[in-house]
Amino acid sequence: MLILGFESSAKSASVALCDENGLISQYFQNSGLTHSRTLLPMAEDMLKNLGLTIGDIDLIAVSCGPGSFTGVRIGVSVVKGLAWACDKPVCGVSTLLAMAYNGVCAHEGSIICCVMDARREQFYNALFIMRDGIPVRLCEDRAIGADKLVEDIKNINKPIFIVGDGASLCYNTLNNFEFRTVLAPEPMRYQTAWGVCMAARREPQQSVHELLPVYLRLSQAERERQERIFGK
Amino acid sequence: MAVSYAPGLIGAVLVGVNFAKSAAFALGIPLIPVHHIKGHIAANYIAFPELEPPFLCLAISGGNTMLVDVRTYTEMKIIGETRDDAAGECFEKTARILGMPYPGGKHVDALAQKGDDQKYTLPHSLIEGSPYDMSFSGLKTAVVNLVHNAEQKGEALDRESLCASFCRAVSESLVPRTMALARELGYKKIAVAGGVAANSRIRKDFCTAAEKDGVTLYIPPLSLCGDNAAMIGCQGYYEYLAGNTAGSDLNAYANMEL
Ligand SMILES: [Zn+2]
Repeated sequence: MLILGFESSAKSASVALCDENGLISQYFQNSGLTHSRTLLPMAEDMLKNLGLTIGDIDLIAVSCGPGSFTGVRIGVSVVKGLAWACDKPVCGVSTLLAMAYNGVCAHEGSIICCVMDARREQFYNALFIMRDGIPVRLCEDRAIGADKLVEDIKNINKPIFIVGDGASLCYNTLNNFEFRTVLAPEPMRYQTAWGVCMAARREPQQSVHELLPVYLRLSQAERERQERIFGK
Repeated sequence: MAVSYAPGLIGAVLVGVNFAKSAAFALGIPLIPVHHIKGHIAANYIAFPELEPPFLCLAISGGNTMLVDVRTYTEMKIIGETRDDAAGECFEKTARILGMPYPGGKHVDALAQKGDDQKYTLPHSLIEGSPYDMSFSGLKTAVVNLVHNAEQKGEALDRESLCASFCRAVSESLVPRTMALARELGYKKIAVAGGVAANSRIRKDFCTAAEKDGVTLYIPPLSLCGDNAAMIGCQGYYEYLAGNTAGSDLNAYANMEL
């Protein structure tokens, strides 16, 4: 089964093609250029180089959040357009679950702490444990402050492998405590479309109209509107 | 596959552009970027198949107020525009301060039908030295002040007449200016486009002025005045004929020259 995966939830953008044996191709860019300009050309070029067309793909996967509102919106829109036009099933996976696959380079039984910088002194976070080379979820995706994260992991007596675009920020915070933390090496740190494809193999398929972004938090506009109506 | 790629609320434009370009890629069909305002102008071709450029167009919406010299289907030049708020923004502010739900333009219009348009004196837009540029912030402020003053003094506000006076002020800022520019450019065809073109006072004043000047007036039906995909498809057709297609690196823009 050929899975075409898209990741654009934060600064980096990537597109990957995987089958049941693993990674076939991946384009990755961490340039800060807008995903609106770079994401689709990466997929177009990748398919061309592989001698494939979009019609050859069996499933289109995307990290549907949490993450940057703009980034998530672009990834989901691109995938909806592709899937709608060629009538393919889709799979929206949690950005945090997808990046947990970076934990394959950690030891069996390690805790994978996925963190994205959610701004406003919060992290998007979820915790996983590696079992037979697959991350198993320990908590739901959430937006939390550093103090809550410290509270949650202070009783865990296992090595904690930190991944995600917020990893170094989180590592610096946690380093003030006596945790057994390991910061994922740079090439294994960021969320990738490969992780999206891996996660999609174990998540339910959806129709194109079922696919929705997951923001976890209100957008700035929604927040300001609520503050106007209900007060802070 | 034609798509509105600029200008607009960036979060919304991004969704449309990224959906359209990936769908065009997957279908193997041309992708055509369309400027949103050009789309509004093209609504006139749907309503009036006999209309052909060149002509003068007043494009009035929530985000823009401009006098456009439409030279060909795809080449146009802005001759005058608002220096601050768009006319549509001014309508929404008036609706909001009078407690009407969003979008409020049609509520202001409905109330205005029952009012006296001479009751309240509101300022007209005038830009020194630029006869075809406009300003609506003064009008907006005047309405806000009027409502607040009435509230403070506990005076009853004649809402119908305020709406009528407001519509008159907007119309008198737009219609005579447009007619004067048509005379100067020697155009016998004038088109109006955009959401504010749905306002009945503006439509009525344009009809009267066009008849007096012997100019043919084109205003789309209400269904084609507001934002709609048909107008983007229509302009997309002319952009395609002119060879204006894009690749999968097309981006969305909050602002873009016409
Ligand atoms: Zn519009």
